[in-house]
Amino acid sequence: MESLIVSLLNGVIYGLLLFMVSAGLTLIFGMMGVLNFAHASFYMLGAYFAFALQGSLGFWGAVVASTVLVGLVGVVVEKYFLRRVHHHGHAHELLLTFGLSFIIAELVKLFFGNFPVDYRIPASMDFALFRLGATSYPAYRILMGTVAVVMFVLVYLLLTRTRVGIIVRAAIYKPRMAEALGHNVPVVFMGVFCVGAALAGLAGAVAGAFYTTNPNMALELGVMVFVVVVVGGLGSMGGAMLASLLIGVITSLSVGVDYSLADLLAWFGAGEWARQVGGLLTLKLSSIAATIPFALMLLVLMVRPSGLMGDKN
Amino acid sequence: MKPNTWIALALGVGLLLALPALTTASLLNASIQMLIAALFACAFNVLCGQGGMLSFGHAAYFGVGTFATVHAMNAFNGAGLLPTPLMPLAGAAMGLLVGIVAGWFATKRTGAYFAMITLALAELLHALAPQLKGVFGGEAGISTMRMPAWGLTFGSSTEVYYLTLAWVLLSLALLYLYTLTPVGRLTLGLRENTHRLRFLGYDVHRLNVTVFAISAMFAGVAGGLQALNTESANYVLLEGHVSAAVVLNSYIGGVSVFLGPALGAALMTFFGYAVSDLTRAWLLYQGILFVLVMMFMPSGLTGFFQWLGAGRRAHGSAALVPLLVLGVLAGLLLTAGTVFTVELLQRFFSQDYRSMAALRPGAGWAPIALFGREWLPTAVGTWAVPLVLCGAGAALVLVVRRMWQALLDRAEEKQAAPHAAVAAQGDAL
Repeated sequence: MESLIVSLLNGVIYGLLLFMVSAGLTLIFGMMGVLNFAHASFYMLGAYFAFALQGSLGFWGAVVASTVLVGLVGVVVEKYFLRRVHHHGHAHELLLTFGLSFIIAELVKLFFGNFPVDYRIPASMDFALFRLGATSYPAYRILMGTVAVVMFVLVYLLLTRTRVGIIVRAAIYKPRMAEALGHNVPVVFMGVFCVGAALAGLAGAVAGAFYTTNPNMALELGVMVFVVVVVGGLGSMGGAMLASLLIGVITSLSVGVDYSLADLLAWFGAGEWARQVGGLLTLKLSSIAATIPFALMLLVLMVRPSGLMGDKN
Repeated sequence: MKPNTWIALALGVGLLLALPALTTASLLNASIQMLIAALFACAFNVLCGQGGMLSFGHAAYFGVGTFATVHAMNAFNGAGLLPTPLMPLAGAAMGLLVGIVAGWFATKRTGAYFAMITLALAELLHALAPQLKGVFGGEAGISTMRMPAWGLTFGSSTEVYYLTLAWVLLSLALLYLYTLTPVGRLTLGLRENTHRLRFLGYDVHRLNVTVFAISAMFAGVAGGLQALNTESANYVLLEGHVSAAVVLNSYIGGVSVFLGPALGAALMTFFGYAVSDLTRAWLLYQGILFVLVMMFMPSGLTGFFQWLGAGRRAHGSAALVPLLVLGVLAGLLLTAGTVFTVELLQRFFSQDYRSMAALRPGAGWAPIALFGREWLPTAVGTWAVPLVLCGAGAALVLVVRRMWQALLDRAEEKQAAPHAAVAAQGDAL
């Protein structure tokens, strides 16, 4: 029971982290129609900037600074790269961001080496918040979850309750009309790109300390984020939230399940046969936990290709 | 095709046939890699350039082709139904099968979704492969032997080269013929306007799956050739960087021309082979090149040649030569500056240098050996070199741009003046 609750909590927090990255991605896609392949690279940059700066600024200073820095990188990418190729179409923009993600990963390897760096949570944060039976729960995980929730609430309030939010939503919905009414739509686009990148950077700076910080983290998380947006429906914040939590919880739970397909088939009297066939049928669920989100994605594609909360089109 | 194209093609094939006599053994091995990469890129281009579907997970189909071929080689031992030279057929069959299944899922969505799904499918296979030891051999991978068949031993790389060449030429010919078939023309329709295709009564999803499967099948052939060449397969083949390389290569070559991706892949593989001993940052250069192509030369290298041809017709060779010379010079300066910076940084941030600096605290920064000289990282002169190189390059770029603009203006003036227009017509006739 305790382990179930702990798994659930871990899953929810991992899901919130996924959401922090996929929120920016889906926001940018909804607005500019650009699938930003380099978005997960912003997450990685956040972790590496925080790692590089924590010596001089302290942990929290480094987290804030790296968030700002990644936001600035986002501005540069939007203004000097994406805007230049905008007239070639969306596929071209996607390819360009793909190239940029490639360059960012190689630059990270150049500066920090092709191995995990020693980016850790500060000792002052490294304590157990509460105990569940025999397991103690680290405070830092809860902190990560809180950061994600606070961020979500802030972005939501910003988008729905402020004047800036109205303009942003108008620019997403009818960019030409918003422009005709005298709003500087390119600046709005740049601002949203900057905020989206900064969110990913913040997620990286906070989560990199807890998980590992290595040059592969962008690809690993990026693939997961893509699965999230396919499952949730690209451009829908609610869908991204739902899918992130779903995938976080399922991944976290399946690590603890020690059954295979053969055990399931044994219920129908086909267990012996399955064990003879071997291969995929006898693999324990826990050992293929990494593939569960993909299976979920394929399932969603089969029954509801537009995603859980996406529009029909 | 024009007669010029035929002559160029014949020359190219002749050169490829004569290659083993002209090069060293290690270069021949690199040539085999180049041929395989070229076929892989062309297979990718059926889907991406012609069908307009961007796949970021093509390593999966290449990889299953390799594994299927290795298993077939072990099962048949070069005899029976599948003698060694026909082995890539196993890769083709497996590529086709996996392509149909993966394509059915991936083509449920289009555009950005399609790209994400292909990436996720490839990652799915990559995550699953190490667990399925019987099929993918786990960490160690599986190995095999090329068995003699048809009176050939396949022991020397020359024989492997000719086998690869035969398969690559055959596959490229088939892929070219495919573009001439009705399905090949419909593939272009998928890229241009799927709504219209649907309106005309075509089953778009089925067509998408067909194109995907054909592309995967030829990727499987390339994978099979890789198995024949290296006599082994490891699940590393399914990694993301293989998929990334084919995207980069194809676009650097130019996807709008049939042989563009092949050119890009061959060039990039060759450079990768040539500089892999010299630098550790080759992938970075490749990425930078790709982004530059995407930003300034969207149709790739072949597009550049086409642009050159068009420029020559419009302005004459004499006007273009100084432009080209200056342009190449600017490019060289910028490249030199970038390479110098990257290599210096790479050495400065390398582990060896860091640990050396940590061993001798207070001794200051040791000089870095680069291009046969010692450079002090704290000296202004060291960093002035790339700055001057890049500055000169950028200035030259500005000059070239101005010259090009002047050329365009002059051409416009010519067209505006009526008597000039008549004269131009006379020239054209």
